Amino acid sequence: MAGGEGYTDAEVMLRVKAGDQSAFDYLVQKYRRPLVGFMYRMARNAAVAEDLAQEVFLRVYRSRHTYEASAKFTTWLYRIATNLAVNHARDTRHERAEVTVSLDEPDEETGTTPDLADGTITAEEALVRREKMLAIRSKVEALPERQKMAVVMHKYQQMDYKQISEVLKLSESATKSLLFRAYETLREQLKEFV
Amino acid sequence: MKCKDIQEVMPDLASGLVEVTPEIGSHMAGCGACATKMREFQQTMALLDEWKAPEPSPYFDVRLQARLREEMAKPQAGRLGWFRRPVLAAALTVLMGVGVGLFYAKGGGMYNSQDSEVATMDSPVQSAEPGTAVGDLQALEKNHDLYSDFDLLDDLEVQHNVVANP
Ligand SMILES: [Zn+2]
Repeated sequence: MAGGEGYTDAEVMLRVKAGDQSAFDYLVQKYRRPLVGFMYRMARNAAVAEDLAQEVFLRVYRSRHTYEASAKFTTWLYRIATNLAVNHARDTRHERAEVTVSLDEPDEETGTTPDLADGTITAEEALVRREKMLAIRSKVEALPERQKMAVVMHKYQQMDYKQISEVLKLSESATKSLLFRAYETLREQLKEFV
Repeated sequence: MKCKDIQEVMPDLASGLVEVTPEIGSHMAGCGACATKMREFQQTMALLDEWKAPEPSPYFDVRLQARLREEMAKPQAGRLGWFRRPVLAAALTVLMGVGVGLFYAKGGGMYNSQDSEVATMDSPVQSAEPGTAVGDLQALEKNHDLYSDFDLLDDLEVQHNVVANP
């Protein structure tokens, strides 16, 4: 098959299961950007994010024989992704403490465009913007793990309550209150920047 | 409609994912607290929008293809149906445990505690690492619960550690 037009992702995944390599390539093309973005916000490092996103695809590939289309494909995909992100966070707990201290380094990691170079903003504006970005990152980072995952999925992956609740294996109402608390914390902690 | 109901949908409302229904609208009009909170949430959402993620690098596909080829070059455990049965997976784990035991028995008193840590790194137990062989086989048993229950996964990891550091 050339693409997934007209098929649900679950159907495409069943073709992967049946041995269709192009079906797998289709899923990679479709989800690599969202997954790299997701992992970037969970792991805060572009290179690590790519590595983890690739690992998600490898696990999808490895699990193809046992895949069953009972759950939505993206739910399954993000379960794998959140699990990897959690493990990564746990394995690198100690390194992360160091990263936080050295946040002043020149950044290739924030994903911001260097407008300063093309002269559209002043050095001072760039500094303010950078402070703001670091604040956002560190406050999201500081949320409890589940709240952080919920915010990243809701805010940056545009997933709805139902899907987030399925990924996190929570009830929908628990997910709603989790998200409300998370945003409430962020609102409080980031209010100096709005 | 109560404040609590509004709160529940506040993240979606403030991100514009959900339309303001007449019901919500009339509550907002009469409730200063909710209206204020809504404005603040909108500001927070706008602020969070500024945190951009980088695009996948041009090497992403190439690297993934390389890792996939590596994967395919490995013995195809996934194709052997019997290999995935829990009993056999468990038996395999036991066998590996025995293997490690033999390894240590063979090593005799050669190692002090530091050395045995190093030795463990090179032992066959390495394949029980999450994401490979046994780790995956155990996890893959259940498609649905796979990667969903973080606590269970923690337990799995603990088990690996037990095996890896007898
Ligand atoms: Zn109210």
